[in-house]
Amino acid sequence: MDTGLILYAGAFGLILIGIGGIVLSHHLVRIIFGIALLEAGTNLLLLLATWRDGASAPIIVDGRVPALMADPVPQALVLTAIVIGVGVLAVSLGLALRVQQAWGTLDIREVRRLLERAIDDEAGVTPASSLDAPAVSGPLPGGQEERA
Amino acid sequence: MNSLALLIALPLITAFLLPVIDRVSTFAARWIGPMVLVVTGTLGVMLWQQLGDNTVVVEFGGFRPPLGIVLYADQLAVMFAVAATVGTLLLWPDSGEDRLRRSILALLLAAAGSGLALSGDLFNIYVFYELTAVVSYGLIASGGTAQAHAATLRYLVISAFGAALALAGIALVYQATGTLNLAQLAQLAPHRLDNLQGLAAFVLLLVGFGVKAELFPVNTWVPEVYASTSGRIAALLAGVVSKLALVVILRLLILIFHQPEALQIMLVLGILGVISGELAAWRARDLNRLLAYSSIGQLGIMFIAFAVPGTAGLYAGLAVALHHLVVKPALFLLAERWGGALDRLTGMAATSPLGAALFVLLSLSLIGVPPLPGFWAKLLVLINLFEQDNPLYLAGAAAIVAGAALEVNYLFRVAAALYQRQDRDEPRLAPHHLGDLGVATLLGTALLAGTFAITSLGNRLEQIAGQAADSDRYIQTVNPEPAP
Repeated sequence: MDTGLILYAGAFGLILIGIGGIVLSHHLVRIIFGIALLEAGTNLLLLLATWRDGASAPIIVDGRVPALMADPVPQALVLTAIVIGVGVLAVSLGLALRVQQAWGTLDIREVRRLLERAIDDEAGVTPASSLDAPAVSGPLPGGQEERA
Repeated sequence: MNSLALLIALPLITAFLLPVIDRVSTFAARWIGPMVLVVTGTLGVMLWQQLGDNTVVVEFGGFRPPLGIVLYADQLAVMFAVAATVGTLLLWPDSGEDRLRRSILALLLAAAGSGLALSGDLFNIYVFYELTAVVSYGLIASGGTAQAHAATLRYLVISAFGAALALAGIALVYQATGTLNLAQLAQLAPHRLDNLQGLAAFVLLLVGFGVKAELFPVNTWVPEVYASTSGRIAALLAGVVSKLALVVILRLLILIFHQPEALQIMLVLGILGVISGELAAWRARDLNRLLAYSSIGQLGIMFIAFAVPGTAGLYAGLAVALHHLVVKPALFLLAERWGGALDRLTGMAATSPLGAALFVLLSLSLIGVPPLPGFWAKLLVLINLFEQDNPLYLAGAAAIVAGAALEVNYLFRVAAALYQRQDRDEPRLAPHHLGDLGVATLLGTALLAGTFAITSLGNRLEQIAGQAADSDRYIQTVNPEPAP
């Protein structure tokens, strides 16, 4: 089978797995790993942009010019992109750690709910959805304390 | 003109030297950051004057493009580089104990912002964009609370997703053309990118860079982040950073992607942004999130305006962008102390007359009440939309008008609350910081001055837009060696 085809399939496969991981999973670490896979896929795609089978590095040794040279530009770009990706990965894991320490959860839905509540509390508004706050204003069975 | 690179290099170097300077003298470390921005801001304005009607290219290391990397300066680029520098200076985020780190991040933001505006190379744009992104993570998380960390994390996930998509778009562009220099791309695009691959690349780049520009589907971070961070940082992100991302999208659109479908996709996303943003702002019950959602709506108007082909759309969109650049930071500065629930604001005009008056002035301009600049900007957009003989553009005009009606409703609700008499003896909100109020007053004064100089401002802006829309001029100025 054609090597180029396999590589392209790998790149798009990684991108799809990455996007799937970001969109479908709820665990923050899985989402972050999804980002890492997505970045790996795009990096591979960038490398493949000018990839040619059997090309050698574009270095002239002893005046001999290689017959088929690889384009060095995407490789330089991918190197930069990998460095940026690793930095962002570290920052995101650090932030996830802080959130886990403070709120005791890594579930993105739970984090989102707690974040909304923190913003609401700070602003001094009641929660927006009727699930959190029933529409009736009078005393409820169970009382305020139990609901809170 | 080589000193153009100093706009990027000087803040960058200072940022990395700042920890060392802090070891020697805390006082120097505190003041050297703003001083550097004063210097680069002045330099930028001088270069802008010098530039006049010319366009200039700076080749790094003397290598000609496409091998060399270039900075491209036309009036649009220099204007936004100056806006990034001066904006960061005015909204200098040094408060609390983490002063040093925030100063470093602010300097990096100024450098990356100038780089985004001036860069003439697609990959450099990506790098500066990522730098801006990482700096904004740091700035938002510098609040130090669990809330700030969680908001940053959710922002980071969307932003990293967008950046990866943008990189995939760059890969598609490179695959089709084999170059990253914008001028050479502009030469090659009509032959090699006027197809489905080009359109796919544009959508990837639009969504990727759209994260910072608060584009419709990728803007869920906006309310959370602006409500979880300080007013100054929210002002920086909503006012300055979003416009820089917009300028990048604009450049790509003018130079590379000429398909009518590209404009229509942007138009539809802009319309959805206006509708969703304004409706959410109308429902918001605290000032921070109200302003955040209204900012999504305003950015939507800009996307609609830029979807109008030719210089006219560019002119109208730039007018809205510059207006928003002045107004929204001032409003966020006022929201620093007034950010809570709207009913807490009742009667605040009695204790803070200047703040309340400013809020009313800025709101009127944001809605578009004549003769304030916001009115002329929106009018220009609407005229251009009506001139297009296409129902989609008319839908855009309808969305803007409906959005303005909602803006009237929710902004006047706040203004009415401010001027309501309050008899109950409740604890008042703390007064504004003098610095915040001062900068807000400065921006309000600039808005008023703009009202009186609206004709000359308009002419100048039209000229800037005409220059930026001229892609042949871009190619001639950069003059890349012919493609192999």
